[in-house]
Order: sequence, then C-alpha cells, then structure tokens
Amino acid sequence: MIEHALYLSVALFCLGVLGVITRRNVFVVFMAIELMLNGANLGFIAFARLHESMDGHVLALLVMAVAAAEAALALAVIILLHKHKGKLDTNVFNLLRG
Amino acid sequence: MMHHSALLLPMVILPLAGAFVLGVLRLATVRERGMAAHHFGIIAAFGPILSFLLALGLLVQINGLPGHDRVLSQSLYQWFAVGEMRVNFGLMADPLAVLMVLFVTFVGSLIHIYSIGYMKGDPNAGAFFAYLNLFLGAMLILVLGSGPLVMFVGWEGVGLCSYLLISYYNDDRANVAAGNKAFIVNRIGDLGFILGLALLFWAIGDTGFDYADLRERAPELTPLLALTVGLLLFIGATGKSAQLPLYVWLPDAMAGPTPVSALIHAATMVTAGVYMVARFSFLYMQSVPAGVIIAWVGILTALLGAIFGMFQRDIKKILAYSTISQLGYMFVGVGLAAYSAGIFHVFTHAFFKALLFLGAGSVITALHHQQDIWRMGGLKKRLPITYVTMLIGALALAGVPPLAGFFSKDEILVAALATGHPVIWLLGILVAGMTAYYTFRLIFVVFHGTPRDAHYEEVTESLRVMTIPLMILAAGAVLAGFINLPPILGGHQLLSHWLGLEAHHSPHIKLELLTILASLTVCAVGIGIAYRRFIPTAVEPVYHGFARFAEAKFHVDELYDSLFVQPLLGAGAAIRRVVEPRIVDGPVQAVVWLYRAGADAVSAVQSGYVRVYAIYMVVGVGLLSFAVYRLLVG
Amino acid sequence: MSQPLLFYALSLLAIVGAVGLLMFKHPMNAAMSFAVTLIALAGLYGLLSATLVFAIQLIVYAGAIMSLILFIIMFLNIQPDDLPDESGYWYYLAGGAAALTPLALLLLYGINSLSVTSTPEAPPGFGTIKEVGVVLFTDWLLPFEIVSILLLVALVGAVVLAGKREGGND
Repeated sequence: MIEHALYLSVALFCLGVLGVITRRNVFVVFMAIELMLNGANLGFIAFARLHESMDGHVLALLVMAVAAAEAALALAVIILLHKHKGKLDTNVFNLLRG
Repeated sequence: MMHHSALLLPMVILPLAGAFVLGVLRLATVRERGMAAHHFGIIAAFGPILSFLLALGLLVQINGLPGHDRVLSQSLYQWFAVGEMRVNFGLMADPLAVLMVLFVTFVGSLIHIYSIGYMKGDPNAGAFFAYLNLFLGAMLILVLGSGPLVMFVGWEGVGLCSYLLISYYNDDRANVAAGNKAFIVNRIGDLGFILGLALLFWAIGDTGFDYADLRERAPELTPLLALTVGLLLFIGATGKSAQLPLYVWLPDAMAGPTPVSALIHAATMVTAGVYMVARFSFLYMQSVPAGVIIAWVGILTALLGAIFGMFQRDIKKILAYSTISQLGYMFVGVGLAAYSAGIFHVFTHAFFKALLFLGAGSVITALHHQQDIWRMGGLKKRLPITYVTMLIGALALAGVPPLAGFFSKDEILVAALATGHPVIWLLGILVAGMTAYYTFRLIFVVFHGTPRDAHYEEVTESLRVMTIPLMILAAGAVLAGFINLPPILGGHQLLSHWLGLEAHHSPHIKLELLTILASLTVCAVGIGIAYRRFIPTAVEPVYHGFARFAEAKFHVDELYDSLFVQPLLGAGAAIRRVVEPRIVDGPVQAVVWLYRAGADAVSAVQSGYVRVYAIYMVVGVGLLSFAVYRLLVG
Repeated sequence: MSQPLLFYALSLLAIVGAVGLLMFKHPMNAAMSFAVTLIALAGLYGLLSATLVFAIQLIVYAGAIMSLILFIIMFLNIQPDDLPDESGYWYYLAGGAAALTPLALLLLYGINSLSVTSTPEAPPGFGTIKEVGVVLFTDWLLPFEIVSILLLVALVGAVVLAGKREGGND
C-alpha cells in the first residue's frame, strides 16, 4: 500500500507540472503548483509511515504553512495583474521578452 | 672637452614660462572682459629681454674660453635609451649658436615691445603674446639643442607657432587657409628632414646622436650617403626657409600680424634652414655636390623671389618675396661652404628685414590696414620716423655701402667666384640689381609722390613704443655690417674668425674688388631705374606680357594646385567614396550584423512567457533525470 | 479489509480530480475538481495513520486555501471573454509528458528499489497531535519559527499588494 501511495505521489506531482506547462489560465497554473505541493506532501506522509518517524508529518505541516503563505501572496498578485491587464492569460504578461 | 654653462636652461625656460603664464592668464580672463592687450604685452616682453641679457652673459662666458675649444653645454636629462644607445636632452652653445641666440633674442625683444603698440586694443592679444613667447622658446631650443633630435623639437615648435600666428586673425577664412598652407608645405619639408635624420642615425648615429659625436664620425660616411643625407636635410630646409620648390607658403604667411611677419617670417624662423646647414657643416663638408646643389637652388630662388618682388602691389608681399630672395643668397653662402658669409647675411638680414617689416606695419596701422602700395604715397611728411628708418632698411637691403647688407651680400658673391661658380656670381649680381630696384620702388611709391589715400590728412605717426624699436633696428642695420669687415676695406673679418666654421682662406683681393664694383654698379642702376619711373609721381602701371606673368607669380600656385592639391583631394574623395564604405567599413558592418543576428537568435529564447521558462526547466530536469537514470541502471 | 479498497478508491478520486484540474476550461470548475483531489488526499493521509495531518489538510487546504481561491475567482467575476485562448493545449501536453517521462521513470525506479513488501503495523500514538507536537517543538523548532516569520511577511505583503488604491496616496 505504501509504495502505491508513493506512485500516486509521483503521478500527482507530474500532473501538476503538466498543468503548469499546458495551461494559460493564471488560476489553473496556481492550483497546479498547489497540486505539486500536495503530491510532495503525500510522499512525506508515506515515508513517515514507512520509517515510523514523525519528521515527515512535521515537514508536511511546514509545507502547508508555506503553501498558505504562497496562496495569500499569489492571489494578491493575481488581483493586481487582473487590475492592470484585465486578463487572466499568462501570455499577456511577457515583460521579460528579450 | 665641453664646458658647462648654467645659463642655457634659463634662457630657454624664460620664454616658455612666459608663454605658460600668459596662456593661463588668457584662459583665466577670457570669460570676463579680459585683460588689456598691453598688460599681456608687458608680461610677454620680460622673457625675451631676460633671455637677451642671459645671451650677453653667454657671450662673455664663451669669449673666456680658449679659441679652439669654444663649446658650452648643459646636459639636462636622458631623453630615451634604446639598447646601447642613449640620447640626452641637452643644450649646447658654440659661437654659431651664440650669434644666433644673440640676434634672435635681441630682435625678438624689440618686436615684443613693438607688438605692445601694434596689438593695442586687440581682444585676443593674450593668445598672440603667448604664441610669440612660445615661438621664442622653441626657436631657442632649435638653436641651442645639443643634437639633431633636440633641434627637431624646436624645429617643429617654431613651425607650430608659425601656423598659429599666421592664422591669428581667424575670422577670415583666407587667413586660416594661409596657415594651413604653411603647415602642410612645411610637413612636406619635414618629411625630408626626418628621413635625413633617420638615414644619418642608421649610418653613424648608434653611439649617441648629438653634434659632437656626429662631427667625429662624419668622415665614416660614404660620399653617396653624405650626398643623400645632405639633400634630405636640405629638403627640410627648403620647407622651413621657403626655397624652391616649397617657397609658396611664405607670401601667404603675410596674413598674420605684421610683427609676426617680421619676427618669424623674416628674421628668425625662416633662417632656421640656413642655420641647420651651417650646423651640419661637418656633414656638408663630406659632400661637395650636395653643397653645390644647395647653392644652385638658393640662387634660383633668389632670382625668382626678386622677379616676383618687382611686380607685387601688397607691401608685405614685396617684403616676403624679398625675404625669399635673400634666403636664397644665404643658401648660396652655406652651400658653397662659406658658412660664415651665409650666417653673416642671416645676421644682417635679421636687422634690416625686421626693420622693413616693422616699418611696413607702422605704415599699415597708420593707414588703417591698407596694404596696397598703390593706395599709399607721399607719406614721407606724415610718417617721418617710419620713413627715415625704412629708408635706412631699404639702403641696407639694396646693398648700399656702408650699410649691413652690402658687406654680407658681397661676401657671399665673393665666395661664389672664389669657389669657381661664375654663373652663380652673375645671377647674384643680377639679383642684387633687382633687389635695389624693387626696394626703392617700394620706398618711392609709398613715401614719395602724391598722396593716394583718402584718409591722408588724418594719418599720424605711430606710437613711441613702436617707433623706438624701429630706431634701434635702424642703428643695427647701419652698424651690423662692420663686425665682419673684410681686409680689403681695412677690417679683419672678426665674425668669420670668431665663428671658426671653415678653414681660413687667404683673401681674394681681385675678386673682391670686382664684386664690389659690380654690385655697386647694379645697385646704382637699380635705384636709378626706380627713381626714373616713380619720381616725382608714380603712376600705377598696367602690366603686359612677361610682367603680367610675373605679377601672377608665374602661376606657380595654380600649377601646384592642379598638379598636387586637386589630384590628392580627388584621391581622398575617391577613397572616402569607395574604399571607406566598402573595404574599411564593410567588414566592420559585417561583424556588427553577425553579432546582431546572433543576439536576435539568442534573444528569441527569452520569450517572456512564464510557462515557456517552465518548459525549459522541465526539459532540463528531464535530461538530468535521464542521465542519472542511465547512470543508476545502465 | 476495506482499507485497500478505500485506498484505491481515494487514489482514483485524487487522480480524477487532478486530471479535471488540467482539463476544465473555467477556473471555477477546475477549482472544484481540485477540491476533490484535496479531500481525497486527506482521506489517504488518514489511511496512512497521519491523523493530525489529515485534520489539517481538511481544515487548512480544503477549507481555508480552497475557499480563498474560490472567493477570489468569484470576486474577479470572470467572463468567458477573459479566459485565455487554450489552443495548442494538446501539443504542450504531449511535449510536457515526453519531457517528464525520464523524471517519472527515475522516481519509479527509486520507489521500486525500496522493495517495500508489507506495511508494518503503526505503533500506538503514531501521527497523533501529541507525537507530532513533541517532534515539532524539539527537533524542528527553528524551521517552525522561520515559517512563522514567513507567514507574517506573506501577510504584510498581501496587504501591501492587494490593498493598493488606484490613486496611490492612501
């Protein structure tokens, strides 16, 4: 069961990466990043169960705290971007174009 | 054995320091209303006067030395050292240099004083006096340098000041063009000079490139090498001293202020070429043909200058062609190894030609910058001091005894006959007659006859500060000849003995008598013709035929223009049109294009889209993972 | 035992939710789909004896963060015109999958090399709030404090960013 949990963790992480790559909607990109974090979290929990150690749980908690901070900031940024461009398209924001 | 003298350095430094001080003052006050011109002039006069006093000290010092060993020197510092060779920057004075220094600083002082009056009210006088002081410093370096390289520093320095001062009235484009012409023509001469120095260095210069050393090693030169070096150096002299074929810049150089014409383009700088030949006498003694060529170039230049001088109408141009002509005489002297005769003529010429120029300047300022002699006339009454002093100068130039020009000119002509060049002698006599004619043509037309100037009644004599130098120079023009009185007239050729440049030769009584008679005759004839034509009233002539051709200066300027200037300009334009864009700029532009294209290609990677950067990252992680996987599994 | 059954059902739900996140065009639908994944993951944490994390996953993730996201989506009042043009989606998917394959293979290889055969019985008290708390406040005290500062910074930053008025001199 634990190795299957790990497989699932890998699958969720890869789906998150694919979401970041394929989608142009800012919200979806943001949530895909959250998905990657969750995939990693599942890995922590599974390993904690495997090694009977609490450290994995603690790490998962810290990741959640980081995710909460990230959500607060990312959503503020999204609101600002929407205010400026009126769009949710990541391709509109290309100020780094060389 | 050289003797040390501490007077040399301050003599050179004083005018240079003056130039520096004046330059700083000028720059400091240029924004405000500026200092008055005569304040600048008074500061400027200190350098030359003090240098003259030092030169007198030098004269005393050198006379205290034994007759055969009269060399004073002051080594300043090692200029550069390459391998075994060490070139020192030093100063050196022998009797030749002392004579040059004496009259350069003396005439220079007088002209500085005269300029205080002449430049009165000129807003840029600060720059003028700074250049004038700089010129004097450079001229002293030229004369007192201990070796050819030091001389070259001064040589270029005087050229620079000449250029700056010819273009001094730079509001007028023609004056700037005249300055450029002088500078460019002098560059052509300087190329020859540099080549000559390089060849000399290659041949015998490797043990220390100064006169003392070169003099010792000069006999090592092969005749061909001596001839080549001698002629290359002489090309430099033809540029600086306005000889054929590079004389064309000197008449145009009259665009500068008249004191500049007097100091630089009559008395001092233009005689640098003669001085150079005399200084390198040890070299020219190795090659008689080189000297003969110099003499022929000199006499032809003298003839040409005299012909042109007879038909000019600009008072300063008449004097300019006269200068060219007299410089030709000097080259005859030094070319035929009669160095002391040539230098003697340099010495006397400095007095009477500076006098004539300064007098002309006095006339020009009195007539509010009128330079056409056919607009003058009858000024004798209005400008008495100028008239008398200029008359003395004219008599000296024409060669009337016992004034200065008579002795020095005759000595050169005697040398021509004594060395077996009767044609040169004959031409010299002819030129002497022409000289007498054009000189008195100038005097008669300007000072005698009826007034032709509209402002004649308002004309007044120049300021005291201008007339006193005229009087002093006039005294010099009268007396300068006596220091080298030939035996036939009861003298002992003091100057020639003192200079000690050539082996003393026994006097040629017959030749001297012949020369004196001939030159007196042509002088009288020349003045007589001038008198017949222009007294009591001079009528502006209309020239035809040869005279018209001569008035147009044989169209030499036009010839040079179409032969050299236009082809070179055309070549320059062609290079700019074809070579510059295609051959020079082409590869550069290609490289620029290459980098642009490369940058464009690379910058396409920077799309600005967040997810594209994410893709790069994922691809990178993918490749890395693949590598690790291969490492673990395979 | 119903445990394996439950495990696979929740895993399936999590995958389906994640795929839904990637497929739904409208962010609202995607967010709802993602919420399914989060809740399924909470169940999986429970099955893996992580009782505290299970609770916090539900409260913080599925509760607080998701509701914040939903709130913002609704706050911006997204119209169909605002939605980006997602053409070329499949090409990106195929390319991304190809680029990710080596990573996935490497991770799977790593998991397989652990050679886990059976799940050991969890010791008593494993994953309870007390056990986690003891570890958190002894071994992990410094990271805990740093994270608390991070949260504070995020809080201030969010206020500064989102609270900016158009005029600017508020």
